[in-house]
Amino acid sequence: MTQFDYSKLSVLIADDFSNFRSTVNSMLQSLGVIDVETAGTSQEAIDWCARRTFDLILCDYNLGAGRTGQHVLEELRHHELISHKTVFIIVSAEASRNIVMSAYDCQPDDYLMKPINTQMLRQRMSRLLAQRQSFSRVYAAMEKGDTTTAMDVLVDMSLEEDRNALSAQKMLGEVFLQEGFYDNAEKLYSKVLEQRQVDWARLGLAKVKQAKGELEMAGAWLEKIIEENPLYLPAYDSLAQNWEKRGENHQWQFTVQKAVDISPMSILRQKKLGEVAQLNNDFSTCVDALRRTVKLGEHSCYGQASNHFQFARVVSLGMERNLDLDAGLAQEALKYLEDAEKWYQLDEAQTNQALLLKGRVFAATGESERAAELLTQAAENMESCEAQLEVHLDQVSVLQSLGKREEAQALLKSLQEMYKGDQDALKKLDAFLDEPASEANRALVATINREGIDFYNKELFDDALSCFEKARKLFPKHIGIQLNIVQAYVGKMKNGQQDRLIANECHACLELVASLIEENNPAYGRYLKLREMASATVEFL
Amino acid sequence: MNMTMDPKQNNLDFSLVLASSVHDMKNSVGMLLASLEQVIEATPPESEEQGRRFSTLHYEASRINSELVQLLTIYRMQNNFLPINIDEHYLLDTLEDQVARNHTLIETGKIQIDMDCDPDLRWCYDNDLIGSVVHNVLVNCSRYTRTRIFLSATVENDVLKITIADDGHGYPKEMLEKPASMVENAELSRNATHLGLYFAENIAAMHKQKNRKGYIELKNGAPLNGGAFHIYLP
Repeated sequence: MTQFDYSKLSVLIADDFSNFRSTVNSMLQSLGVIDVETAGTSQEAIDWCARRTFDLILCDYNLGAGRTGQHVLEELRHHELISHKTVFIIVSAEASRNIVMSAYDCQPDDYLMKPINTQMLRQRMSRLLAQRQSFSRVYAAMEKGDTTTAMDVLVDMSLEEDRNALSAQKMLGEVFLQEGFYDNAEKLYSKVLEQRQVDWARLGLAKVKQAKGELEMAGAWLEKIIEENPLYLPAYDSLAQNWEKRGENHQWQFTVQKAVDISPMSILRQKKLGEVAQLNNDFSTCVDALRRTVKLGEHSCYGQASNHFQFARVVSLGMERNLDLDAGLAQEALKYLEDAEKWYQLDEAQTNQALLLKGRVFAATGESERAAELLTQAAENMESCEAQLEVHLDQVSVLQSLGKREEAQALLKSLQEMYKGDQDALKKLDAFLDEPASEANRALVATINREGIDFYNKELFDDALSCFEKARKLFPKHIGIQLNIVQAYVGKMKNGQQDRLIANECHACLELVASLIEENNPAYGRYLKLREMASATVEFL
Repeated sequence: MNMTMDPKQNNLDFSLVLASSVHDMKNSVGMLLASLEQVIEATPPESEEQGRRFSTLHYEASRINSELVQLLTIYRMQNNFLPINIDEHYLLDTLEDQVARNHTLIETGKIQIDMDCDPDLRWCYDNDLIGSVVHNVLVNCSRYTRTRIFLSATVENDVLKITIADDGHGYPKEMLEKPASMVENAELSRNATHLGLYFAENIAAMHKQKNRKGYIELKNGAPLNGGAFHIYLP
């Protein structure tokens, strides 16, 4: 093995035990390393990296105060304080399970189990630094954004019969996938799998199929990988994407949930779980996941005020819909809004959002006066600057929650006018409108609706219902869709499928329409007729 | 007065309690080992007698440590909490890592290490798990060998064979006959639970390719005329 000139090496040791720092420091000195810095907290480690670069970082996993080596590595990457040139090793006394799970998520260059000694350290260092040197051309090319050169070098390296070939193959597969060279990626992974069944190559191949749109095949493969290695987290992430692409939102949630159960500390997965649970109207899962997202955010670079805001939004929505909620949730939402102000530097828009969301929570708990005060305060602030759409949408929600329906309608109307040409903005507005304003959503709802009507005409009521319900998820306030659902239920009941559950669903749907529809709406006649038909059918239950 | 216990309170999962305290103990012993290694490095033994004492201290601490690690691993294995991360690795790296990890034990025991491993030999296995098997056997050998330990890795008939051999008295007869089952019937012979063998056997069996799975074998005699531990991985 190559002998290194350790005297030119720069190393950072991060550990909350001073004893450990000095032990490792003296080990490094005995190897001839001169340039050593130490950090006792995660923040110190990050500060060091903001000031200068290191060849090697030895970072303890458990850094105290809730922070881990994974947090440090994620933050260093997030703020681009570290490049490929730095070798990052996580050192740990933890059980290897946590480390393996953490390594799946943050991919350090290596990890070392405590207790460590000089010999172990020397061996690992020389191995990793040699590898780093061999890949220096690849890293240099990637840093310049020159992926073509990086790929060329990696192809050459992966064909060599030496110890870098394997790492080169892994990296090449990822670059191929990322750059859209799916056929090359497929060839590479298939070739690896001819030799040995390794999970990373099986996952790679499934990802290729997924990227090519062969979703069912990719999904089946991913499920097989998980069945054989139930703790292989990266496979869950791909499978979740697979269900998402197939529009199977319940399977999607189930998969994210399983990954979260295995590794509950991942803030990004918790956040994803919150999103998908909301899509599925699974309120309690959504609230739990968002709560964890907020809490994990305290120590993570992925913590954001918007997570706190989302918690408040979902809790308010639950109260507005009269869901049977834990009484403490409103207080919790208010607390998180205050935490957002304490933990993050809120810009003007976010400050107004926090005010509006507090107002919405108060409105939902019946404290209309306080809500109105906050609303006025926010509105005054917003006058002085041009507010963003998101802030306005929160404003609409408070107005609605306070029962100021006309003001809310007027605001929505002016927003529609303001964002006339902006399809992305119109899409966001759609969720608040009776009819979609954006072209894409209009087309989408028309297609799904048409499909549903086809099924209805063939008396395939369940298929029709699943189409209409899909459309309803996208546009919860679209009266036409709601009425289609009612009609499908009525059809189903007339066809002899009568039970309490269907009748209840039908009734709930009619009630929702009742709360949305005005007498001057062109669909009002249809609504009355369906209402009559429904009650006629339900009567003989 | 006759008191009845609340059955709910009694329903404490003892294996979980045990596992978490094993986890704590393991971390403590880990600290103890690290401090011990520092002491030995800072104040090298001044006499043969002292060297032997250091060696015993270090060996016993290492043994507790690796036994606790094994307990924890078996707990996880049984609860499907054990991640297995199979990838291609260089055998030389794996073996050298474990020799380096036991550097103090080998130095204080004045043991000569010989290794026979093609530097280009690579194979698919879980490096952490196989590493810990090799580590346990090394700790054990360092206690029972006289002067030498021999490590090798070769491929025979598309099966990887890792050997760790010593020039001690060899394995007792009953261990040679039925190694892994000994733990299951919980016969404690000569203060040894043979937990290590159970652990190694299970780890080996977690390595599967097509219809074959890994296994272990204990022999006496070749190559050093002492005990020889073999692990076979397809």
